[in-house]
Amino acid sequence: MHKIIALSLSLAATAASAHAFLDHASPLVGSTVRTPPREVSLTFTQSLEPAFSSIAVFDSGGARVDQGKAQISANTMRILLKALGPGSYRVRWRALSVDTHTTEGDFTFYVGNP
Amino acid sequence: MPAHLSCSRAMALTLLFVLIPVSGAFAHCIVGNRFFPATLIVDDPCVADELAIPTISVFKNGDTPSAQELDISGDFSKRITEDFGISIGSTWTQLRPPGGPTASGFQNLDTAFQLQLLKNAPHELAVMAELSVEWGGSGAASVGAARFSTYTPTLLLGKGFGDLPDSIRWLRPFAITGQVGYAIPGNSSTTVVDPDTGDTSTIANPRILTWGGSIQYSLPYLKSAVVDLGMPDFLNHLIPIIEAQFSTPVSNFADSGTVTTGTINPGVIYVANTYQVGIEAIIPVNRASGTNVGVIGQLHFYLDDMFPNSVGRPLINTTLLPTNIGGR
Repeated sequence: MHKIIALSLSLAATAASAHAFLDHASPLVGSTVRTPPREVSLTFTQSLEPAFSSIAVFDSGGARVDQGKAQISANTMRILLKALGPGSYRVRWRALSVDTHTTEGDFTFYVGNP
Repeated sequence: MPAHLSCSRAMALTLLFVLIPVSGAFAHCIVGNRFFPATLIVDDPCVADELAIPTISVFKNGDTPSAQELDISGDFSKRITEDFGISIGSTWTQLRPPGGPTASGFQNLDTAFQLQLLKNAPHELAVMAELSVEWGGSGAASVGAARFSTYTPTLLLGKGFGDLPDSIRWLRPFAITGQVGYAIPGNSSTTVVDPDTGDTSTIANPRILTWGGSIQYSLPYLKSAVVDLGMPDFLNHLIPIIEAQFSTPVSNFADSGTVTTGTINPGVIYVANTYQVGIEAIIPVNRASGTNVGVIGQLHFYLDDMFPNSVGRPLINTTLLPTNIGGR
């Protein structure tokens, strides 16, 4: 049994990539901002494959409020926004890490008085 | 069990781990926003490439008189296709009854065949079917390993609450998992010989309903999908959890009785990129389940993240790359 444990620990020490999970976002996940943001920026735990990663932002009625093409570099994904009014906005993202693991997720931020 | 057999079993497990062939694709138990960690007591509801080693538990069991039991186990899971996988596991047990001789040896070898029935991302729902086989006679009788095989078809599910409305979004990090199985012994009875008198007797082997589950609150989910509170990074990797498992004899229980046994297991799991560490208390629900609070700990590796281009891929890969959101 001790051989298996030793083997496992040595393998775990090997450098590895993994699923790209959302590490942090701007605006912050679930936050309320007074000034409408001009872009949404997402930082992931792993580098992304640009061709198969995407981001979209929707208002409470389900209409797209992002504009232009998403910019994806290393572990960061960002997209410009149209002029936003007060309300809630949902960010949906999909990420393919460079080792072909896929993840997806969404979160909400709010524009207005906290 | 003879030492050379124990060694052979360990080596076989090691070789199986090292020699798995190469092929292509992705994922452990991730369903939409939700990541279900590998649970320590019950199974998580996904087919995956994982290695849980070691899992160590110490507790006083339900024997009369109660014996101090130490279990050290390893479990290896491997996807054959994206939705079908197998697992193999083994447990070494040491029993120390009060005033009696210490016994030790391997329990019967466990294997499982797992089929992913459903993964629904919007509702964070996963359902899996499993047929596990405990191979009778492969373990040591001195630690209670049965001489007959047991077959247990099991249904497992996981449900995250990410689809709750905004007004109760603080509850979204909650998730539950559950499983229910029916353990069918290969032999309906066992003949035992009294070592002192030489008399023989027959004991009925009951069919047992095995059931349990977990409730968990994911701080990684809270940060990435509900609200980022700016907590220290260590806390953002924790998933507090309560697991529970029970066994209820439902037929052929003339000798075993119908008493349900089980444990409740509160604890916490730390989730990193390529591994997780979990520790839980073992609280017996009655005298037949144990006599005091024990502890279980586990180191668990995500092979699909550690070796995405080799051991961590299904042997047969049919993965499709994702499309962009909204058609852009």
